[in-house]
Amino acid sequence: MKLDRRTFIKGASAGTAGCVFATLPGSIAALGNSLIKGSEQSVASICEMCSTRCPITARVVNGKNVSIIGNPKAKAFGGAVCARGGAGHSQLYDNQRIVKPLKRVGERGEGKWAEIEWDEAYSIVAENLNRLKKQYGPESVAFSSKSGSLSSHFFHLSKAYGTPNTFTHASTCPAAYIVAAKAMLGGRVRRDLSHSKYVINFGHNLYEGINMAETRGMMEAQMDKGAKLVVFEPRFSIVADKADEWYAIKPGTDITVALAICHVLIEDNLYDKAFVAQYVEGFDEFANEVKAYTPEWAEAICDVPAEDIRRISHEYAAAAPHALVDFGHRATFTTEEFELRRAIYAANILMGNIERKGGLFFAKKAGAYNKFAGDKVAPTLQKPGVKNMPKIDAKRIDMVDEQYSMLWSSGGIYQTILDATLDAHPYQLRGWVMNRTNPMQTMTDRARIEQTMKKLDFIVSCDIYISESAAYADIILPESTYLERDEEVSDKSGKNPAYYIRQRVVETIGDTKPSWLIWKELADQMELGEYFPWENMQTLQLFQVNKDLDLLNKIKREGWVSYGTPLMLREPSVLNTFVSEHPNAKPLDDDGTYASQLSFKTPSGKIELSSPKVEQMSAGRGVIKYREVKMKKADELFFIQGKVAVHTNAGTQNVPMLANLMSDNAVWIHPVTAGALNIATGDKIRIFNDTGSEEGHALVTPGIRPDTVFAYMGCGSKNKELARASGKGVHCGNLLPHVISPVTGMNLHTAGVKIAKL
Amino acid sequence: MTKRYVLVHDENKCIGCQACNVACRSENNVPESVTRIQVRIEGPHGNFPHLHFKYNRVSCEQCENAPCVTVCPTGAAYVNKDGIVSINEKKCVGCLYCVAACPYKVRFINPETRVPDKCDFCKETRLARGEQPACVVVCPTQALTFGDANDTSSEVCKLIDTKTNYLKKVELGTQPRVYRIPSRKGGI
Repeated sequence: MKLDRRTFIKGASAGTAGCVFATLPGSIAALGNSLIKGSEQSVASICEMCSTRCPITARVVNGKNVSIIGNPKAKAFGGAVCARGGAGHSQLYDNQRIVKPLKRVGERGEGKWAEIEWDEAYSIVAENLNRLKKQYGPESVAFSSKSGSLSSHFFHLSKAYGTPNTFTHASTCPAAYIVAAKAMLGGRVRRDLSHSKYVINFGHNLYEGINMAETRGMMEAQMDKGAKLVVFEPRFSIVADKADEWYAIKPGTDITVALAICHVLIEDNLYDKAFVAQYVEGFDEFANEVKAYTPEWAEAICDVPAEDIRRISHEYAAAAPHALVDFGHRATFTTEEFELRRAIYAANILMGNIERKGGLFFAKKAGAYNKFAGDKVAPTLQKPGVKNMPKIDAKRIDMVDEQYSMLWSSGGIYQTILDATLDAHPYQLRGWVMNRTNPMQTMTDRARIEQTMKKLDFIVSCDIYISESAAYADIILPESTYLERDEEVSDKSGKNPAYYIRQRVVETIGDTKPSWLIWKELADQMELGEYFPWENMQTLQLFQVNKDLDLLNKIKREGWVSYGTPLMLREPSVLNTFVSEHPNAKPLDDDGTYASQLSFKTPSGKIELSSPKVEQMSAGRGVIKYREVKMKKADELFFIQGKVAVHTNAGTQNVPMLANLMSDNAVWIHPVTAGALNIATGDKIRIFNDTGSEEGHALVTPGIRPDTVFAYMGCGSKNKELARASGKGVHCGNLLPHVISPVTGMNLHTAGVKIAKL
Repeated sequence: MTKRYVLVHDENKCIGCQACNVACRSENNVPESVTRIQVRIEGPHGNFPHLHFKYNRVSCEQCENAPCVTVCPTGAAYVNKDGIVSINEKKCVGCLYCVAACPYKVRFINPETRVPDKCDFCKETRLARGEQPACVVVCPTQALTFGDANDTSSEVCKLIDTKTNYLKKVELGTQPRVYRIPSRKGGI
């Protein structure tokens, strides 16, 4: 479908004067509705309603609707799709989606927009970015994007432009567990939840923050195979409800339980000594440190009974190695995330569950897998490299301290954009290019972000909605939604190699473009076209598969192609199958495993339970250690947040079907606390602290500690363009302080607040 | 042999994520203001810290002895031979007796078609294509099992025969066909 100017005028004039949405420039409402054109046969593709990116199949129904279900070929995903994934079509043809480039015509953030053509949008962006580069150097512009998917094209543009300042949302969500894994294990590990017999969980709410394969795996382990789940979380979440044991731990004290578990494992002689001897460096220093961290010590801090910690440690050890302590996902509980996540990994390492069923494992991509199999079982993907990329000499704005060095290649410290803009620390930032990112909601300290946005010289945002952050842009470049895009083949390897691909299901609605094309065309306009030598997405796909059209077609047809059988280097039963499937496989060790082949990408090649490298990066942190953190003032309540199953962080609040399910976030308050404040469910309340103040309403429930209040994050947008979300509920980021945590660079999602009845 | 379609909802596996709600809405074009199925997360019940949620599937119970059918003056509401409580739109006069009579409060007037509407196990859409109902297929945690209870080897029979289960408001004699496996944590 192609919408021309005439249909736009027709659509716009059809809107009544009283209807705000119909007049939102650049929206589908402004351009007029029409039938959806696309494949009526199921097309295999990849969801983008959250960053799990589940394999889906989708088809257009009667030109009105798109049916989306999971791709049953991807066994771990089981053909399932969550509420967000199922509602993808509601986002596609939402009247409030932006389908035409926009130019700001009022003050920044004022909400006055004019539709422009792509040519004009490109030339304004190119002119401004080239001007900033010439006057202040390319490092004066920050590029930030959601990670994965087409973000490689976006960051390719930033490299061609010459700025080192590239960021993902990492330091506002997962980076701490990734940095901790790098420090100890040399890289990221996965959880084999579906085979676990005992899982200890520190508020990793897999039943609301749905990650399909893991959510399914956990439930299968629990309900079909009888695994035990122990949850430590201040709130009675769904995962707490499904747990065999729930402990309403005091916010920010999870590390005391993790360290006390390590203490018991060592002091009671439960740990896997052979594993530690073979693979672990720095055990003695760690053991010496955790001597003091008794369960009784932990109880005094975290409110979990010492006898339970002791019993749970023994139960966990008895189930090991087919047991794990979950290292979580959102790692922003305290400023001591580095120590917490390392303490959790330590509890796994001590039980030797690495590369064991039900424990932790490394992903096996084609290259590594084929080496073990002794055959080219899985094809490897080629990466198109571009030669003679400009050399970037400037330092990143977050390169102020060596302690953050593990983050520089993993998304950076996102919130340093604020300091660089407002305080010229370490130097002045002047421009910000945003790609599908919403820092106004996710970065914390909203007021400081607003100041930053107002001070910057030039801001451009590529998005599908005028998000709370896009609302402050000078130019908005409307990206096609995932249902309208073709992309490269993606590697989704787990225990064995697997590939899948995003494919267009419907014809583009309105005048949007896939972001790979936006950045390529913008590069042309910026005279950087030489760095984007490919013609189109098809060229890139063919390059990836080394011109093997059969392979590409197979991946497109099936939507999910996996190779071989699982490979876990220390699991005899798995390897038994592996070697019988692959006759040329590397010979097994005497114990029927590849244990001798397991090494780690750390300086010592071993697991670094204590690390000289970390000690060098940050004096005093070589050995995992407890440090007290002050999370709130004495007369304040802890304020914590979490995910809900029907929304993705701050990204889906305006999607009609999902807004219909939930558009507001009540503040959970314990009955005793609520009674003291004379607050009942439904009462209007004010929640405030030194950072900000929000109005919302109360949900009085025993499912929260008396000293804590909770709200689902992502609500309470303050820009009028998100009409279904704006002004509804509490804006969490407005209550959270601007913080950069040691080593991990994380921001902080726990704060002290006061509550008052309105 | 006739079919007797039933659904089993395992409240232990259900996480109240609304994937079923959304999939049903999309598959059956259910307008925004009404719903054929939702799972209400009720509670938490109990006292801190001994709490539990109830995951209450609210949808047509496909009663064998359906009050909505009994009260229908025109025969528009009927139990099909596969056991699915169905609606013949042509015979409906919009008297709303069926909406009032349903003890589970799951019938509604579709604001677009002006005809009573409710869950029909995706009879017109997915079942007709030989597929399982939308809610069953998309369920992230496999909390739903659908099948023919007249087939003793079916998965639903196995579940009903081996797991503690209950039916809603059986005292009314409605003989519902949505079996619920209660939460191991609390009462039903």
